[in-house]
Amino acid sequence: MKREFLKQDWFGPFIVTLLAIVIVGALKPSFLSPFNIQILLLAISVNALVAFSQMVIIAIGQMNLSVGAIGGLAAISFAGMMEIWGLPWPLAAVLSLGIGLFAGLTNGLLCAYTGISAFVITLATLSVFKGINLGITEAQPFYDVPEVVKWLGNATMVGPIPWLVVPFALSAIALWYLLFRLPLGRSVLAVGGNTHAAELSGISVPWIVVFAHSVSGLLAALAGIMLVARLQLGQPSIGDDWLILSFAAPIIGGAILTGGRVSVGGTCCGVAIVAIITQVLVLFNIDPFLVQVVLGGLILWAVSVNRIREVREQRKAAAGAS
Amino acid sequence: MSQIENENKTGSSAIPKQGRRFDPIQRFLLSNEFGLIVLIVVFAIIFSTVSPMFLSKFSLYALGRTSAVNIMIGFSMMIVIVTGGLNLAVGAIGVCAAMAGGWLMQAVGLHWLPALMGGLAIGGLLGAVNGVLIVRSGLHSFVITLATMSIMFGVMIFLTQAESYREISPAFTAFGRMKLWGVIPPMLLVTIGIGILLWVLFVYSSLGRQILAAGASPAAAELSGIHVDRMIVWCHGLSGVLAGVAGFMLVSRTGAAIPSMAGQLGQDWLLPAFLAPVLGGTLLTGGRVSVLGTLLGGFLVTMLTSGLLLMQVGAFWMQTYLGLLLLLAVLLDLARRSYLSRNKLV
Amino acid sequence: MTDIKKLSTMCAAVAGLVLGTTAAMADSSTRVALVPGGPHPYFAAWELAGKDAAKDFGLGAADYKVPQKWELSLQNQMLESLVTQGYNAFLVFPGDPVGTVAIADELAATGAPVMALAGCLKDPSQAVFCMGTDTGNSAYLGTQELLKVLPKGAKIAHFTGFLVDPNTQLRIDAVEKAASEGGAEVVQVIADIDAPEPAEEKINAYLAAHADDVDGIITTAWVPAVVASNALRKIGDKRIKMVGIDHDEVVLGAIKDGYVHGTMLQNPYGQGYLGSYAADRLRSGCTVKDDAPFKSIALTDKFIDSGTVFAGADAVDNYVSSMQNITKEIFDGFEDTYLNCG
Repeated sequence: MKREFLKQDWFGPFIVTLLAIVIVGALKPSFLSPFNIQILLLAISVNALVAFSQMVIIAIGQMNLSVGAIGGLAAISFAGMMEIWGLPWPLAAVLSLGIGLFAGLTNGLLCAYTGISAFVITLATLSVFKGINLGITEAQPFYDVPEVVKWLGNATMVGPIPWLVVPFALSAIALWYLLFRLPLGRSVLAVGGNTHAAELSGISVPWIVVFAHSVSGLLAALAGIMLVARLQLGQPSIGDDWLILSFAAPIIGGAILTGGRVSVGGTCCGVAIVAIITQVLVLFNIDPFLVQVVLGGLILWAVSVNRIREVREQRKAAAGAS
Repeated sequence: MSQIENENKTGSSAIPKQGRRFDPIQRFLLSNEFGLIVLIVVFAIIFSTVSPMFLSKFSLYALGRTSAVNIMIGFSMMIVIVTGGLNLAVGAIGVCAAMAGGWLMQAVGLHWLPALMGGLAIGGLLGAVNGVLIVRSGLHSFVITLATMSIMFGVMIFLTQAESYREISPAFTAFGRMKLWGVIPPMLLVTIGIGILLWVLFVYSSLGRQILAAGASPAAAELSGIHVDRMIVWCHGLSGVLAGVAGFMLVSRTGAAIPSMAGQLGQDWLLPAFLAPVLGGTLLTGGRVSVLGTLLGGFLVTMLTSGLLLMQVGAFWMQTYLGLLLLLAVLLDLARRSYLSRNKLV
Repeated sequence: MTDIKKLSTMCAAVAGLVLGTTAAMADSSTRVALVPGGPHPYFAAWELAGKDAAKDFGLGAADYKVPQKWELSLQNQMLESLVTQGYNAFLVFPGDPVGTVAIADELAATGAPVMALAGCLKDPSQAVFCMGTDTGNSAYLGTQELLKVLPKGAKIAHFTGFLVDPNTQLRIDAVEKAASEGGAEVVQVIADIDAPEPAEEKINAYLAAHADDVDGIITTAWVPAVVASNALRKIGDKRIKMVGIDHDEVVLGAIKDGYVHGTMLQNPYGQGYLGSYAADRLRSGCTVKDDAPFKSIALTDKFIDSGTVFAGADAVDNYVSSMQNITKEIFDGFEDTYLNCG
């Protein structure tokens, strides 16, 4: 039983996260102040959705380069609909989520029914979505974000826990339930693990691909909308920076790029690790010219701790077998 | 266009499949490379009809020069994709190599040739470091190169304090502005020359075959006595050298070694780096390569951008059109194949 | 968006001022291209400035051409394409002060006047001159304004843009210099945050941990200024004084409400308008005077300041008119001061 627990994908990243919190907290007590925890949770909430959006596609063994472009498009649509058409924010949010869903659906349909690799399709649609974003905004931000939305982006629920954690937590639970408890999710992982075998076992591969891309689009749009609330304006450059984070967090969390193996908990830990590293760079007043070096070094540290544990597990397993 | 599996490639790695046997010409007509040539011709005709300036000497020269760099960046990534890995650090390595070269020319005062060699050696070394880290740690190349991209670029920024090196020998910068017969940039010839070398490597050398085997199935390759680890280090080293070449091309063109030539962390290079090989039919899962395809893919993308710029389609909307054209291009290629096979024309 | 409205009223006003003085000797074959480094709200005024200049001076065209990404190679490709399209005067924001020199020289070699606009090229280059903001000096002046409202020995934090941009180094040095002259200390520099997500994360993390250890904030890049303004408003702390940069509505609003002390404004409209005018004059036979009173700054010896002004709460509302005045002032004396039009 204990063994099983240790073998979970999320266990290693979880240990790294705990270790990081303990070390940083001991060195800088202000790291664990309520305000700082709030800031950390805000960062994690949004970034986790970005990572989930990519994780779903990694699960089917593909890549979605357009997550940032979809998120950015949803963000400026959300802010734009409220400013220009004066729509109430819940309606604008739903419509923007619809745009994200539609964008993902388009990706999915193109990938599933042309047989062209998702890499090429999403690279092209990345350009299309970003172009629409720039075409609408001409690089000018939308400023008139209603006070309620601004409040939602800042307000805390209980203690240091911000409201933005809610959409994140709900999506995490829903994704976990979907991927690991529902037959549909098992099909998604099966397609990622071995497309051919999945097809033979009667799974409709194109439908699964379309489904995964739609979910990915939806999650990216949600992240974009949450960023508008957090930044308090509809900045057209939202999403430009997401690509690397979207891959890094799931992979630090134990996902395999060829598909079939992802972990919701691991991805959350991956996001947390990246967020903590970002904070550390600020907290410890690292020379700006060395920030990138330290960042890279810490990422290496985070993944190697996990890797050492894995190797040890394998050795133990091998010793037990022989 | 790349992942249509049941299809023979003219590339070196073509493994005969059962079914109808194609003669070489038919095989070529079905290939990715032919598809890209058709697309390039079709779009060239469209662009030159809409905007006759497209075929002006200056425009062609500029197109050649830009595509030379983009193709080179594509080669650098291609060589790692062959092993089934990725190299996110191409841009960072390219900039580091170029900055090292700039430092050797300006601060050390070397002649451009040894400086070039020194810079390329740095590029190869950094690439090999990536390779060794990947092999030793057993981690995915994505994570390793993500971290080293940050470290290498960071060290470069720290050492140079983001200062440029401008005292590049005139002979070297003249190369970037030279025009052969009024239209041909010598840089394009360098790219084509390196392409031919890579082609020879993969088709005729045992090293190339071993790399392909290691990329297609590491376990099987290991069993047949190939040192897969060594192949991976080799490929990353070579990728670093090629990234360095692309960096030096930019130095020669801008007349200075500047830290920002590939953007923050060298990320500006990532899209051309992936796009060229993937359009050209190199599989992201490894084991298959098409040098000619990468060359044509890089050229096609550069041409689409410059054609759109010339046609002056709606300022801020340009990216949308570029994306749509790219989709159109891959769909046209798909239609061509299915037409050919449906009508049993090949 | 309201920004644009404000600017267009301003344009109409400038156009009115200017029309009375000139109109003659325009060369309608002049086709000016105004090329920023990438899509950015700062440059929005260039589009209007170009249109106004084309109308006022009878130019063939003065078009705003935006590279779709902040990439040096894309800007180069765009400039090459513009040559092919028949543009014959170039107003360029250098994607990199050194990296853009080569393409500027190539453009100049086609016989077109080339000017660095908003930011400068590093000497030597074939650019006729640079008209814009002395990035280092703007940061220096901003820090001095900040120190005026801070006690002696104050601690300030500096938020700035990408380190690969050499201007960032100039800004860091300038803030450091102003601080040490004013007896203050720069306790932390956070760079590489000219994008919304990292700026939001790092600035908030900084304030969460260090809000009590810092008395003032200077920002020298667009996005950090916006994010820091919002962050100060969020924590409702008016003790920390901040000086921002540029005219984003968020920053201006925060100044009015007292969360931000002031901002260092630039004059994008004036740059585009005066640049287009100068380009046309140079194409119709004028040359730059040998003894033109250019200023010397860190990057170049051929610098014209297009207006760098500090705006506090009292000046925010009428910054548009103060920029108009500067534009008019430079315009009135421009030909006599800088050009030989034999």
